Formats: sequence, structure tokens, C-alpha cells
Amino acid sequence: MTPLAHYLILSGILFSIGLAGVLIRKNIIVVFMCLEMMLSAANISLVAFSRAQGTEGVPVYDPQVLSLFIVAIAAAEVAIGLALIVAMFRARKSVESTAITTLKD
Amino acid sequence: MDAAISSILFYLFATIAVLSAFGVVASRNPVNSAMCMALSFASTAAVYFGMGAQFLGIVQIIVYAGAILVLFLFVVMMLDVKSEEANLSNLPRAIIGVVIAGVFAGMVTKAALLLPGATDGVCPVKALCCEDCKPEATAATAEGELSGGALPQLAEDNADVKTLGATLFSQYNIPFVILSFALLAGTVGAVALGRKIRKD
Repeated sequence: MTPLAHYLILSGILFSIGLAGVLIRKNIIVVFMCLEMMLSAANISLVAFSRAQGTEGVPVYDPQVLSLFIVAIAAAEVAIGLALIVAMFRARKSVESTAITTLKD
Repeated sequence: MDAAISSILFYLFATIAVLSAFGVVASRNPVNSAMCMALSFASTAAVYFGMGAQFLGIVQIIVYAGAILVLFLFVVMMLDVKSEEANLSNLPRAIIGVVIAGVFAGMVTKAALLLPGATDGVCPVKALCCEDCKPEATAATAEGELSGGALPQLAEDNADVKTLGATLFSQYNIPFVILSFALLAGTVGAVALGRKIRKD
């Protein structure tokens, strides 16, 4: 069987790819996609812990409930975030993060 | 044999998930990024199925690869986003991002491997294991307690959705109701933000 450590490593690698995308990309839509990937990567380790804590062949279901909540919050967050991106596009005619310079100038 | 196949499938889908996550970051066209994200989420769902979390796998496909992806594609099409062109001025930013993410990945990997009994039940860190605390009972209790070793076997008749639903609607009933208010607030907020703003 696959050890718990490998699930955690997969989760960590997916999270850091998302982190790299948030830091590198300028297109806010892609930055937002990478944020979603980071949320989903955290879910993998929660489910792995749920299995690892289980006794007598039954997993502990509290971590899975938590990750279900994370999925729901992610859906609400996407709705708001994309509305914000659309509002930003209306105001600035651009979706580059470098276009938001109102406080800088 | 069964365990070997599930291991192979896990590594296969993990590789697909990681490669398509790279595709999200690397591709210049946002539509390609969205498609890579769908592939990454689908293989994550396959990893869930392999862990026996069928309900979360289905939710992952329906919510992430279905709803969220469609929202992203709608916005990409609505805003008519152009592909980014390669630009040398992005290079320092890219290097900094890759270094930070690489350090983070290394840290997580190291921490996961340093878990008590990380890979084969042998303890790599003496300080974390406390060998004197659990003398001979280890073999009997090792199955259930949190250790870094192989995940414990699932029971054949484990009713995943039933138990998850029972946990969700008994112990976590009030958080669940509050969560539905959060979703409602999200919807109302999205509509409010999406309205045309009048100039007067």
C-alpha cells in the first residue's frame, strides 16, 4: 500500500505549484485558478489523514467533512472572485495584476 | 496484487495531476490553463477514489471540474483575454516564484518523510517516536494509530457516503447550515458586484 507520506508529498507538491503560479503569473484569472489548486491540494492531505486515523477499516470522517466544507467555501469564493475580476475588467479594461496601480501612483 | 495495482494507479494519477498543474502555470492561453486545471482536478478525484473517499471524489468532479471550471471559462470568454506573450522582464519574477515554491515543496516533503515511521514503519527521528512509551503493544495497535506508514486497510463493507452523511448531519449540522448562509452570501455578493454601476 502507498504510505501516508506519499499522499502528503503529492499534496505539498500540488500546493507549491499553485503557490508558484500565484507568484509568477500576471493574469489574474490564472492566479485565481492556482488559488483553487492550492485549496484542492489541501483536501488531499485531509482525506489521507482521514484514512490514516481510521480504525477497524473505517476511516475517521471528520476530516472528510472539513474538506467538504472547503469545497463549498471554494465555490462561494470563486463566484465572488470572478465577479470582482469582471468588475475590475470594466474599470481598468485589463486583467493583468500590474494594471492595478491606483494606490501606487 | 490488489494493493500493487492501487499503488500503481495512485502514482499514475499523481503524476498526471502534477504535470497538468504545471500546465496550468506554464501555458500562456487562459483557456489551456483551465483545461489543464480540469485534468488536474479529475486526477485528484481519482486519487480520492483510490483512498476510498468516493463521495469526495464525486464532489471534486462535480464542483471543481464542473461548476468552478465552467465559471472560469465563462469569464475567460466574456472578457476576451489575450494570451500573454513571452517577456524577458518577467524572468526575475519567475525565478523568485520558483525558488519560493521550491523551498516550500522541499520543506513539506522533508516534513512528510520525517513523520514517525514515515515510509516503512521504521522510525527515522528518535525524538518523535518515544520508543520506551509503547513497548510491546506496538504491533497490535500500529494498525489504527496515526503513523506515517502504509494506510490501514479499508473494510470491505465500508459505507462511505452513509457514514459521511451521518457525520455531516448529526455532529456538524449547525456548521452545515451556517455554510449554506455563506453560499447564499456569496451568490448575493456576486450579483451585487456584477451589476452595472450607474454613474449618477
